[in-house]
Amino acid sequence: MWQTFGFEFVNFYFIPGLVVGCIYALGAIGITLTFGILRFANFAHGEVMMIGAYFTWTVMTLVKNGLGFPIHPLVAAVPAIALAISLFIFVDRYFYKPFRSAPTIRVVMASFGMMLVIRSFVQSVWGPNQLTFVPGIARPNETVKSFTNSFDMMILMPNKHFWIIAGTFVIMLALSWLLTKTKIGKGMRAVSDSPELAKVSGIDVEIIIRATWIVGGFCAVAAGVFLVMDLQMLETTMGFRMLLPMFAAAILGGIGRPFGAVVGGLVIGLAEELSVYPWLGNGPLLSPGYKTGVAFAIMIVMLVLRPSGLFKGRLF
Amino acid sequence: MDILIGYSLYGISLLTVGGIYAILALGLNIQWGYAGLFNAGIAGFAAVGAYTFALLSTAPNPYHYGGLGLPLPFAILSAMVLSGCIAFLIGLVCIRLRSDYLAIATIGIAEIIKLFLKNENDLTNGPRGINKIPRPWEHLSEERFYTSAPMSWISDSAGWDSFFDQLPNWWWQPFFCGTILVLVYIIYRLLETAQRSPWGRMMTAIRENEGAAHAAGKHVTRRRIEAFVIGAMVMGLAGAMLSQHLKLIDPTNTFDPSKMTFLVWVMLVAGGSGNNKGAIFGAFLVWVIWSASEIFINSGLHLFGELVSNMDISLLKTRAGYLRMVVIGLLLQYILQKYPDGIIPESRPTSKGN
Amino acid sequence: MKTQIAAGLALCLMASAVQADVTIGNPMAQTGPIPDLVAPMVQAVDLAVDHVNSQGGMFAGGERLNIARADTGCDPVAGVDAVTKLINVSMVTGIVGPVCSGATIAQAESVSIPAGVVTLSVSASSPMITNMETGTDLVFRTAASDAYQGVALAELALAKGIKDIAVSYANDDYNAAIAGVFAEAYAKMGGTITANQAHEPNKASYRSEVATLGSGSDNLALFAYYGSSGITIMRNALETDAFSTFIGADGMLAQEVIDQIGAENLDKATFTTSTSDQTASGFNAWKTLADAAGIPAAGPFVPNSYDAAFLMALAIEKAGSADRSLIAGALRAVANAPGETILPGEFAKAKGILAAGGDIHYSGAAGPQDFDANGDVAGYFSANVVKNGVWEGKIIK
Repeated sequence: MWQTFGFEFVNFYFIPGLVVGCIYALGAIGITLTFGILRFANFAHGEVMMIGAYFTWTVMTLVKNGLGFPIHPLVAAVPAIALAISLFIFVDRYFYKPFRSAPTIRVVMASFGMMLVIRSFVQSVWGPNQLTFVPGIARPNETVKSFTNSFDMMILMPNKHFWIIAGTFVIMLALSWLLTKTKIGKGMRAVSDSPELAKVSGIDVEIIIRATWIVGGFCAVAAGVFLVMDLQMLETTMGFRMLLPMFAAAILGGIGRPFGAVVGGLVIGLAEELSVYPWLGNGPLLSPGYKTGVAFAIMIVMLVLRPSGLFKGRLF
Repeated sequence: MDILIGYSLYGISLLTVGGIYAILALGLNIQWGYAGLFNAGIAGFAAVGAYTFALLSTAPNPYHYGGLGLPLPFAILSAMVLSGCIAFLIGLVCIRLRSDYLAIATIGIAEIIKLFLKNENDLTNGPRGINKIPRPWEHLSEERFYTSAPMSWISDSAGWDSFFDQLPNWWWQPFFCGTILVLVYIIYRLLETAQRSPWGRMMTAIRENEGAAHAAGKHVTRRRIEAFVIGAMVMGLAGAMLSQHLKLIDPTNTFDPSKMTFLVWVMLVAGGSGNNKGAIFGAFLVWVIWSASEIFINSGLHLFGELVSNMDISLLKTRAGYLRMVVIGLLLQYILQKYPDGIIPESRPTSKGN
Repeated sequence: MKTQIAAGLALCLMASAVQADVTIGNPMAQTGPIPDLVAPMVQAVDLAVDHVNSQGGMFAGGERLNIARADTGCDPVAGVDAVTKLINVSMVTGIVGPVCSGATIAQAESVSIPAGVVTLSVSASSPMITNMETGTDLVFRTAASDAYQGVALAELALAKGIKDIAVSYANDDYNAAIAGVFAEAYAKMGGTITANQAHEPNKASYRSEVATLGSGSDNLALFAYYGSSGITIMRNALETDAFSTFIGADGMLAQEVIDQIGAENLDKATFTTSTSDQTASGFNAWKTLADAAGIPAAGPFVPNSYDAAFLMALAIEKAGSADRSLIAGALRAVANAPGETILPGEFAKAKGILAAGGDIHYSGAAGPQDFDANGDVAGYFSANVVKNGVWEGKIIK
């Protein structure tokens, strides 16, 4: 790849695409699990991402002001994850559960309402202004730069990108262990494949649903924290702006397939960044104004050609 | 007196916008209530209708292509037809997708339509939008209309000028509102007739049990495309009426999915999907809540501020806009849970004599 | 329970009707795409009203000046609805706002012009507003048209010796308009545009756009709101060394830019805004007041917001009553020469002169604010660079 495309392609198009793809992937895991197990598209998912990042920021600020030393965002994210998961379970109990046996459309509407409520709540409490996460700009890591340069393959990557990519990888490993090796994970997969069959075989669906919110909430907050680590700032619409690409990633990978969602997220992230690479001539292949459309175009083509997604997700 | 006129004008404006949303909700009711098609791209079809109308009916101008200055009824019909054509193309490809998948596909298509309107500057003036869109009735007092046939047959421009000067400046508002309400009524009658016709009963059969309908020899796919196209034409009409009401449309903010797509869904589901009366009622109810809540919350805060004058509520006031959205969201949850089948639930049409 | 709710709602409705002594309407985009930009603008409007009320209030009787606020969300649908409520229910005398050009044009054409109410926009800068009216004189603004600022920025770029430049603009009404004017003027004056591309706001990364644009030039003309894409693009450009020099307009001029990117990285960034600088007495008066109130004095369109609200109050005072039809004429009288100069915050002084039958000439926080025949103000711009961790402006035109 290095010889074919060269320094610019890898550093300015491929790695950024990978980073965005990781964030999409983590967000899409929660969406695809909810979609597969609870059978509805949760529009409030992006907002949980956002509020998780706000919790993280608050924890960081409190510690810094109260104890006098800064902590890494990934540490501050731990209590934030707990808060976000409780929020998810609270919302499920009072706003989604009444619609369990009703037609899907009602719970979709309810999740849409929760999206408005959560976002406006954050705007009322923290205010609409942007908050700084980490000031300054992140220069590429010098060690990696000089090390790779000695092989004639200079890689420019700031530390934050290592954290994001490595963090996504670790979460993926943990998730794969959870889903394939633990009882609760197997239950989740069973409910996702066929809720009726799972119920008959004695699985407590409500427990599985709670587990889904915990896993989905964990990944959502991780995605939110990674996103603000990359952007280095927070604002209240950041969840919604990630929502549709994450839906696209979930569809692409196949509904109910967390690993599919990861692949889908990476594909969407890379496709968005690579769409403006000057593949032909000097100008970008596609006007950057259309960048958002790339995710949707991939998604629609996928839906038409292969609605079950890349990894044979379930069809309703 | 002024206050009374003011309140009535605000009431008229509520009915106008509520009526436009009612048309959108009726269009959605054909797709979802009749045929079970989960269209989440309402904003896209409304945008196609609005832009078609705007490009055809505005006066020539340097900002965008078109400005053809065509008669308004022709522009409205074109808006419906183009919206229907686009729906037909989408339907050919996507109609076989199941509920949530169709929803997500249509969201994507609506976003791509918006991106097109936003990026093709020469055609649409891009994100700056199109302004000076003529509004029925009010447009009669525009010079380019009263100096041309048929208005010029009745009087010359000086005559029209003095005639319009005598009218109060809001004279056209009741007429425009009335036009929209009449449109709502006509569409309602047509849909009620359609629902009771063999076509409508077949749609219900397909929605309830597609396999059985198919086995009974019905053209399931063709019927579904029909419902999709007719619904989209009604949405195109609503888009055209919206562009007249606003007089300026832009791709980003006017056709924001949360206000143009999901709000319509809320209206239909709260009112009662499958029931045209429910769709209309839901549209007016939700719009009145959406719009009037601002007045009540602001003056409620004002009262509260007078009561607790020793407390500083300036922060509360600056964030009233966000608190309002929290209240609206919770109100929506309340309606959804209190009326699970909508406020006016679907009633099965019965043939006479039963 | 039900009757209590009904009684409460009725009370609220009555309150909205009787609270008025003199009320001005203030539709602002508090929700929507740029809530962060709008928040300090709202504070500036409130500050102006506070000054009026603490300095004797309106008219001889010292009536209270009230603000009726409504949320436009930058959206024509909500904007038209908000202004309908302000004009018909809150019975406002004039409109100060809205923020976004789209919502401003929509509400003006659809509601306020037909109703004969003056709109004094705080930040709508679209060139489309200049020639919007036919036969009426009801739309004014305290922010200069992009048609001026784009040209001023092009001159500034060439004066700084920037011979070639890449243009990137957020695809929204404000930034697309000013980028268009800038690119045309810059090319006409002999500069080379190496690339001119829109970008979609609110994306997580712009590294690829920045890399593609950066292949032709080291200089970037960036037109964006700092919050939705501006800071991210600058950060991506600096991190990848794609660009070293940045110029741009109002949307980027916020303390957040310095706080987030760091002053040490912004030594070659210059942004213009339609405001005056430390050499103008209007700005100095404003800066003292704004600093005391904790409002960012040079934030994008914040001084313009103060000017609009203050001018509206002066105009109503000049008109001597809350009659809507008198406002347009009075607005021109207080904003334009001749008359004794009134600086921001000097409401009592202005009130005294007007009561004695004298003329006043407001010299605002964001420039002189003299309205031309179209209700536009002349371009009066400063170029801002980072000095000691804050933006420091210098008049260029």
